[in-house]
Amino acid sequence: MKRLGVLMALCFAILFFAPTPAVAVQQEIKPFVQGTYQQIVSARQGKPFILGFWSLSCGYCKVELAMLKKLARKYPKLDLVLVSTDTPEEEKMVSATLAKLSLNKAETWLFADGYADRLRFEIDKKWYGELPRTYFFNTNGEVKAISGKLEQGEVEQWIKEQYGLR
Amino acid sequence: MRNLVFILFFAATVAACPALAADHAGHGKAGAADSTAAPVDREKAWKEMLAKPSLAVSADFDEKGRLWLAAIRGKHVYVSYSDDRGITQSVPVKVNAEPEDILGDGENRAKIIVRKGVIYISYTQWLGKPMTGDIRFSRSTDGGKSFSAPVTANDNREIISHRFDSMAVNGKGHIYIAWLDKRDQSAAEKKGGKYNGSAVYSAMSDDGGTSFRRNVKIADHVCECCRTAMAVDTDDYPVVTWRNIYDSNIRDHALVKLDGKMAPVRLSHENWNVAACPHHGPSLSIASDGIYHATWFSNAPQQHGLFYAHSTNQGKTFSSPVNFGNFEAQPAHPYVLSSGSRVYLVWKEFDGESTGIFGMHSGDSGKSWSAPEKLAATSDASDWPLLVGESNRVYLSWNTKNEGYRLIEIGSENK
Repeated sequence: MKRLGVLMALCFAILFFAPTPAVAVQQEIKPFVQGTYQQIVSARQGKPFILGFWSLSCGYCKVELAMLKKLARKYPKLDLVLVSTDTPEEEKMVSATLAKLSLNKAETWLFADGYADRLRFEIDKKWYGELPRTYFFNTNGEVKAISGKLEQGEVEQWIKEQYGLR
Repeated sequence: MRNLVFILFFAATVAACPALAADHAGHGKAGAADSTAAPVDREKAWKEMLAKPSLAVSADFDEKGRLWLAAIRGKHVYVSYSDDRGITQSVPVKVNAEPEDILGDGENRAKIIVRKGVIYISYTQWLGKPMTGDIRFSRSTDGGKSFSAPVTANDNREIISHRFDSMAVNGKGHIYIAWLDKRDQSAAEKKGGKYNGSAVYSAMSDDGGTSFRRNVKIADHVCECCRTAMAVDTDDYPVVTWRNIYDSNIRDHALVKLDGKMAPVRLSHENWNVAACPHHGPSLSIASDGIYHATWFSNAPQQHGLFYAHSTNQGKTFSSPVNFGNFEAQPAHPYVLSSGSRVYLVWKEFDGESTGIFGMHSGDSGKSWSAPEKLAATSDASDWPLLVGESNRVYLSWNTKNEGYRLIEIGSENK
């Protein structure tokens, strides 16, 4: 019976302390509504992160997401928040796209307000909806916005600077 | 017996421990577990996505002042008419008798032109894979009671993108359709090469739309998902404008007259260098005096927002662009219509609370402009604003989720 006890303890240890799976679970996608942007930013005061907006109908976004996947694996410290500007009707496709890219480690959101203008305005008055649209939040609170597919070298440079990596 | 208990318990624990199972599955081949863990029928999911209602409504007046509307509902394009400026509408008639998946999101919409008793319709049919489509055409010669079986205007039939059609009908009844086409990209990729952007193609029908002639390439390397625009010049040749790709990624606009002589000219010079397609195409109107009026959007760092320019020499050169719209209010999707020497511009803005359609006009062929004025508003989703003309009157045509379709008179030419 002693052996059983040891084995049980081992199993519980496995159950409770196993790392969160990086792959193979259905991506949790949270609804992005009014106030969500502020929520994402407030939760990360003083911490660097990348906030990336993308959509299923944006070919360049797929290329960028694949690149971000590589960087997320190479730099586990990278805090990546991805927001799909598609609609709740498209959640299955959004989820499948993220799962295919194994981007599960990123925090993922989906626009859940049929009045997308309102969400965009809250995020950035000067963003017209072009995608991909990426915001780099620095440790000092500065934000840099870039429209269009990013260059991997530039993103890596930013990650190294912000996370103190060499 | 005790060993069996251990084994059963251990098996149950592992089974109840998806994290452990997942980690094992994830080793070795990245992403391999995903396809088995979350099987999604992509085609079905895209179909569900297409099923969401489209707010895109297009409009045109016939010569008798009847307003004709084309809208997408479910798997059909529907046409209706109104004799009271859109307040009441006739029972909609199906254009495509056979159900089709029809694109009505983003810059996609069904187009309608009514000339000399014939109703011309073009639209994009989705082909079952993401970002694919065929350009479809149908017409009615019995006053909208029935429509011809749609024909496909693109003569390349690969399951690729032929989308973002624009249509014009000239005085001879020749029908022109231009669209963005990925056949050259497809051909390059088959040879292991690359092709930047899409191409613009056009097709012409001189038999009233029964058939379309061989497709003609207008330009290579153009922005992939922005609407094209077309208008007919006073010599009956159509003029097409689109967002081009200059150098590797400068997404400014180009224009060409389809007279077989003119080479595309550069319409805009904001030098917007962006590796993205903004889904935000231009608009074009050609006045009875032959002046070209064009409007477009750019988000280049130095020159951004909405722009207008005109050409008095058939597009060879354009006036210095007028920059308009409140840049802090997301000005978007400008549309232009000329009525003689009067020119009207409308566009969308969002002030944080509601969406407004703003307009301004010129009485001297685009040389000087009135101050912007708010013409209509809504507090939820809406279509892009369009302009339609009837006799010497000009109307804003706008569909909104809350208020439905509205036709608002915004000006008239005093002759």
